Amino acid sequence: MKRLETDSKPVNRRKIGIAEYAVVTDETTLITSGLGSCLGIVVHDPEAFVSGLIHVMLPSVDQARDTNPAKFVDTGVPLLIEEMEAVGADSNRLRVWIVGGSEMIQFSSTGDSIGSRNIDLANQLIEEYGLTLVGSDVGGNHGRSIEFDPATEVVSIRTADDTTQTI
Amino acid sequence: MKVDIRELGQFNHLASQGAERAAKSLSQLTGVQMDVEVTDVSLVTENVLAETFTGQSFVGVELGLEGGLEGETVLAFERERALMLQDLLLQATGSSEELAQSSVTELGNIMIGGFIDGWANHLGKAINMTPPKYTEAVGPRILPDQAIQAAKNHGVFLFESKLEAMDVDLDFSLYMLPEYRQFVDLLSGTDQGNQIPVNRLSAFEDLAKEGAGNAAGQIGMMTGLDTDVDISRLRFVPLKGVPRQVGDDRFVGVVFELKGIPSGYLVVLFDEASAKTVASSMMPGGSDEDGIGTMTEGAIKELGNIMTSGFIDGWANVLGTSIEHTPPNFVHDMGSSIMSPVVGKLGQQQDYAFVIDSTIEIDGHQGRCDIYALPNERELARALSALPAQT
Repeated sequence: MKRLETDSKPVNRRKIGIAEYAVVTDETTLITSGLGSCLGIVVHDPEAFVSGLIHVMLPSVDQARDTNPAKFVDTGVPLLIEEMEAVGADSNRLRVWIVGGSEMIQFSSTGDSIGSRNIDLANQLIEEYGLTLVGSDVGGNHGRSIEFDPATEVVSIRTADDTTQTI
Repeated sequence: MKVDIRELGQFNHLASQGAERAAKSLSQLTGVQMDVEVTDVSLVTENVLAETFTGQSFVGVELGLEGGLEGETVLAFERERALMLQDLLLQATGSSEELAQSSVTELGNIMIGGFIDGWANHLGKAINMTPPKYTEAVGPRILPDQAIQAAKNHGVFLFESKLEAMDVDLDFSLYMLPEYRQFVDLLSGTDQGNQIPVNRLSAFEDLAKEGAGNAAGQIGMMTGLDTDVDISRLRFVPLKGVPRQVGDDRFVGVVFELKGIPSGYLVVLFDEASAKTVASSMMPGGSDEDGIGTMTEGAIKELGNIMTSGFIDGWANVLGTSIEHTPPNFVHDMGSSIMSPVVGKLGQQQDYAFVIDSTIEIDGHQGRCDIYALPNERELARALSALPAQT
């Protein structure tokens, strides 16, 4: 589900839920919480000052019945880039941060965890689209919440023990 | 009478979109940024209504629906939040207190209008709204009498959208209670594989309630503390809304995978203080462990194991299937992050989930434990449909 700000009132913070994304052209801080195996992907064009954040749940639309593009890495990333280009971003200038993809629970089913498959596919797409990966904090076995401040181009990552780090 | 779970999903989607529009109207009128936390739908009995609304004092705006969708909608604020809203409207409009009260009514009218917008299109029939009514009540009386009567007779479908404000404490709920018979007709689909007979849905809810009672009993037995099931509901909710509903607070708990028919997941969560109380009560002489360490982990895993067996005990008997659970996965993290891989796993097959959500009070109001069971929806539908008619 898309959450693009359309009304004229200035808004300083925007919360993005699972399988949702937002694109802003001002200094609105983009926030998403509860990243476990999910991945938060921040994309920013510093010149056009366009920022986007998407909270994807699963790697690929092929393995699921749902068609909400913001739910998957493989459809979510192109969607976010397209929406950012529509408001003036240039794909050649895009800088990216990825956070999340942890393995919090050992499920009994075989194969790689959702978290690691999310990370692998995100990295693959970043390379394919020629985007600049500025920072990442992925994997492990803990949850994360993130905030992106377009003004400072900093992603703050908070974990459950209340420690915060920036990338 | 059967409900098609895809139709139920479709209506939940309409309600979610409606709630987004309603939130936007409120943002524009008050300048407060509102977000829809989650929209869920459940078939509730009189008892569940009583549990859900008990003790709270509400201010509401009530509005009837006629035509393509019949029923009632209620915008319900806890009293102090309604007063805050009046203040905000006062600031925004510069009007008197009396006008602010009538502007709450008008606001309700606008928000419910936004909520219903889109439903008529989907149904291909006009929906008319009766004039809004300002109401004040304690407990479930905030809901219209017809709805309470319907809940008594056969249960009532309750749509609830929780709205939260970004920077102020203005959280409130928007309820819709469609007229039972018309709505069940609207929910009847064509695909046999996705249909659940309505009465079996309530039978399963009763089973879940029993399970919560068993789990509470197990905590009591292991710890010697008083326990009580505070609330237990079977809700139909978009998967992506589940982590948000659990929230970002830090929890200690265990996650189990269920194997069999239905497969699924069961999550038992304690807030940190409750986890420590429970673990300490399980150890002879108590525990002086600092923070949440290996002793607490061991105790919570052991307790979670027994609670889970107690919770799903009875499912297999009634459904005529076999269900087992994996060993416990210990978790100590943000609630929303804990739920993230669970909804990720289920999200590969489904967009919505039946969530059994039970809260157990421990030692009076001292501690609490939340149990979330998320069965695979198609497997649950099949198992419930396959039951003999008399059950």
